Amino acid sequence: MLAGILRRVGRRLFASIPALFGVVVVTFTLMRVLPGDPAVFFASGPSAGKEEIEELRRSMGLDKPIPVQLFRYLGEIARGDLGRSMTTGQPVVLDIQRRLPASLELTCTALIIALLLSVPLGVLAALRPGSAVDHAVRMLCTLGVCVPTFVSGLLLIYAFYYLLGWAPDPTARIDIFASTPPEITGFYLIDFALVGDAEGWWAAFRQLVLPAFTMALFVLAPLARMTRASMLAVLGSDFIRTAHAMGLSRLRIIVAYALRNALLPVLTITGIVFSTMLGANVLVEKVFSWPGVASYALDALLASDYAPVQAFVLLMALIFVLVNVAIDVLYGIADPRVSVA
Amino acid sequence: MRRRVLLQGAAGAALLAGASGPVSAQSRAETLRYVTGATINTLDTTMPGATRESFGLSMCVYDRLFAFGRKKIGDNWAFDPDTIRGELAKSYSISPDSKVITITLRTDATWHDGTPVTAEDVKWSLDRHVLAKSLAPPQLSTGSLTRADQFKIVDPHTVTVTLDKPDRLALANLCVCYTVMYNSKLAKQHATADDPWAMEWMKTNTAASGAYIVESHKPGESTVLRRNEKWVGGPDGKLPNFKRIIIQTVPEPATRANLIERGDADLAIDLAASDMPTMEKSAKAKVVSIPQTNGFTHITMNTTMAPFDNPKVRKAVAAALPYDDMFKAALFSRGTKLYDASWSTTPPDASFPQAIPNKTDPALAKKLLAEAGFPNGFSTTFAFTTGQAATAEPMAALLKEALGKVGIQVEIQKKPDAEFNTLESDKKMPLYTDGATAWLPYTYYYFYLYFTRDQRWNFASWKSTKMEDLTLDARYQTDKAKYDGDCKQMIELFTAETPLVMLWQPNHDAVMAKSVDGYTYQFYRQADFRVLSRV
Repeated sequence: MLAGILRRVGRRLFASIPALFGVVVVTFTLMRVLPGDPAVFFASGPSAGKEEIEELRRSMGLDKPIPVQLFRYLGEIARGDLGRSMTTGQPVVLDIQRRLPASLELTCTALIIALLLSVPLGVLAALRPGSAVDHAVRMLCTLGVCVPTFVSGLLLIYAFYYLLGWAPDPTARIDIFASTPPEITGFYLIDFALVGDAEGWWAAFRQLVLPAFTMALFVLAPLARMTRASMLAVLGSDFIRTAHAMGLSRLRIIVAYALRNALLPVLTITGIVFSTMLGANVLVEKVFSWPGVASYALDALLASDYAPVQAFVLLMALIFVLVNVAIDVLYGIADPRVSVA
Repeated sequence: MRRRVLLQGAAGAALLAGASGPVSAQSRAETLRYVTGATINTLDTTMPGATRESFGLSMCVYDRLFAFGRKKIGDNWAFDPDTIRGELAKSYSISPDSKVITITLRTDATWHDGTPVTAEDVKWSLDRHVLAKSLAPPQLSTGSLTRADQFKIVDPHTVTVTLDKPDRLALANLCVCYTVMYNSKLAKQHATADDPWAMEWMKTNTAASGAYIVESHKPGESTVLRRNEKWVGGPDGKLPNFKRIIIQTVPEPATRANLIERGDADLAIDLAASDMPTMEKSAKAKVVSIPQTNGFTHITMNTTMAPFDNPKVRKAVAAALPYDDMFKAALFSRGTKLYDASWSTTPPDASFPQAIPNKTDPALAKKLLAEAGFPNGFSTTFAFTTGQAATAEPMAALLKEALGKVGIQVEIQKKPDAEFNTLESDKKMPLYTDGATAWLPYTYYYFYLYFTRDQRWNFASWKSTKMEDLTLDARYQTDKAKYDGDCKQMIELFTAETPLVMLWQPNHDAVMAKSVDGYTYQFYRQADFRVLSRV
C-alpha cells in the first residue's frame, strides 16, 4: 500500500511540471505586459533623470527583449535564484524564506480553528435539518462569508485590542519589545516549544489568535456547509439504517460510520480552502501587519516589482500541487478503495 | 457536542485576556516606537530605488559634513535651509571669489567601529558621490560638484572643495540625504573589482558615524536602532534623548492610529487626513501640524499637447478651478494656500512657492477659452495615482464639475502608482495632479528643477528660453539683490504663462504620544529621531 501511495505521489508530481512551467511563463509575460515601468517607479528620487532610469533598467535586465529575459529567468530559477526585490532590497529567496513560515503558521492555525468549529457545526446541522440549530448554523456561516476579512479583522481589533485591551497590539508575529525565537523551523509556536520558552510561546500565541480567528470565520461557511450536505447524504443511506437496526450506539454511528464516510468531500474542499487562504489572506496580513507572503506579493505588485510577484505565483502553484497530492494521500486513508486505483 | 463548541469559544476568550509581557518602564520610556506604512528597502540611501523611509533612517545613522539648522514656525519646528551648521565638519570658510570651500573636520569624531574620522574618509565619500552609479551624482551636479579632482586633502583634518564657478548650492548639497560620509577603510574591505564603491555590501551594512547604530534590520517588518554614545555630530555636541528607536512597518493606517491612541506606539507621520480630527481630541495623542514649506501640490497641463500648448487655455483652466472647495474637500483645509494672492503681475518678494494670483472666475475662464478659439470647450482626461486617491479623488470630482461648467469635458482616470509614474515620465498625460517637494528650497532651485530642461521633473514639459537664462544667471549670481531680481522675474514669467496651477502646501501631520516633544519637519519629510525627546 505504501509503495502504491509513493507511486501515485511521484506520478502526480511529475505530471504537474508542465503546469508549473506554464504558470512561470504566463506570469512572466503578464507582468511585462502590465502598464507601469518598475525602473521609473523606483527611480523616483528627487534627482532621478532619464539616465538614472536607463541605468536602473539595465541593472534589472529590462533593456533586453522579453524572450531573452524569459530565457535568463528560467535559467536563474533552475539555479534557485528568484531575483531581488526592489521593495525590500533583499533577494526574493531570503524574503520568502522568512515570510512563508509566517503565512503557513497563520493559515494552518486558522484552518485548524475552522475545522474544529465547522465539522461539529455541520454535523449538528445535519442531524436536525430544518431545526433552529440548522438555521443558526446557516446564519453564522452566511455572516462569516458576507463580512469581508478586513472588516471582521478591524472589528475584532477594535473590540479586543482598542476597547477591551485583552489582545496585544495587532502588529506582527510577536510583541515588538519581546525577543524572537531562534530560527529553527520559522514557525514561532514550534520554535518556542522546541527551546522550551513558555513565555515566548504564549506571547506568539496571543499574537496569533485574532488574525487566525478572522481567517477562520471567513472559511467557516464552505467547510460547515459541505460537512452538512455530505452528512445528510450519508445519514440517509442504507448502511446507516442497518447500523441503527443493529442497535449500535448513536455516537458510534455518527462518528465512526457516518462522519468517516462523509469526510471525503470535506477533505477535497479543505485542500482548496487551504490553498485559497494562503494566497487570499492578504487583507488579514495587511490589517494585522502580519509579515506574510501575500502582503509581500501585493506590495510588489503595486510597485511593478516583477521578481517577488513571479516568485509568489510560482510558490502558490507549487503549494497547490503539494496540497492536492497530500489530499490524495489522505483520501486513501479515509477511503481505502481510492489508493488501489 | 454543542458543549464542546461553547467550551472552545470560552477558551479562546480566556486566552485573549492573558497579561502582556512585562516591559520595564525605564527602557520603554527611553525607547521610541515609530510606526509607518512604508518600508526601509536599503541602508544605503544613494541606491537607486531607495525609499523615503530609508532617507529618514540614513539621516539618523550616517553623518554628513553639514546639516541644516531648525527654526520655529508658530509653535512648531521646521528645518531652516538658511542656516547651515557643521556635523562632521567643525567649521568651514569660503574664499573671497566664492570658489573654494575649506572644510575643517572635527578631531574627536569616530566611526561606529571606534576608528577616527579622517580627511581620507571624507575624500573617498565625496569621490563616491560623484563617481559611483548611484543617485548622488545627479543631485550633486546641481551644486556643480561633478569631478573627484574638486576634492583635495590638505591635512588629516582639512579638505577643500573647489568649484569652477561660484555655485550657490554647493554647500547646501553637502547637507542632503545622499551626501553621507562613509568609513572608507571598512567600505574598502568590502569593495570588489566590479563594485569598487562597495554598493552591494552597503545595502545591508553600514559604515557610519551617526547618532544611531543599526541593531537589527528586517525589511518590511522592523528596524531597531541603538544610540551611538560616542556621537559628536549633534548641535552643541549633545546626545539624542532616546536610547533606542524601533521603526516598525504597520501597513494598515487604522491600526497605526489605534496604536498611537492606545499609547502603544509613540509616533506616526502617515495617518489618513480624515483621522486627524479624532486624533486632536484624543487623550493620549497629539498632532503636530506643520506646513510642508518646501513642497507644493499642483495641477499640471502638458504644454506640448494641444490645447494646453496655448497659454490662454491654461489660464482659462486656472480661472475655472474651484480652489476653496477643493482645499476643503481634499485637505480639510489642513495646509497653506498657494492661490488667491492679491498681487497681479509682480510678486511682493522673491520666495517660492508663494501664493499665486489665481482665483475662481468662471466668466474669465469662458472669455479666455473663446479668445483661444474654444468657445464650446473641449474634452480631456484628468489623472491621479491610487496612492494619492484620498486627497485627489474629491478634488477630481470638483474639478470635473467646475470645468464642465465652462465647457471642458473631463474624464477622470485613476492610475496605479507605477503606471502613473511611467506616464508622467514619458509626458503622456494632458492634465493631472501630483505633489512635489524640493530638498533645497531656494527659489532658483525650484525653477531649475521643475520648469527647465527636457527631464522628468519638468511636469508640464514647459520650454522657455527666458526661464533657462534666468535660472542660469541666478545659479552663479553672487549679488543678492540681482539674485532676488532674477527670482522675481521667474515668478512673474511663471504666473504669466501658467504651465501648471499651484494649489497648496499640504500640512505635514505628525501624530505622537503627548510625552514626545521637539518634532521637527525636515526637508526629506521623515521624522528626525535625533531631535525628539520625552518630557
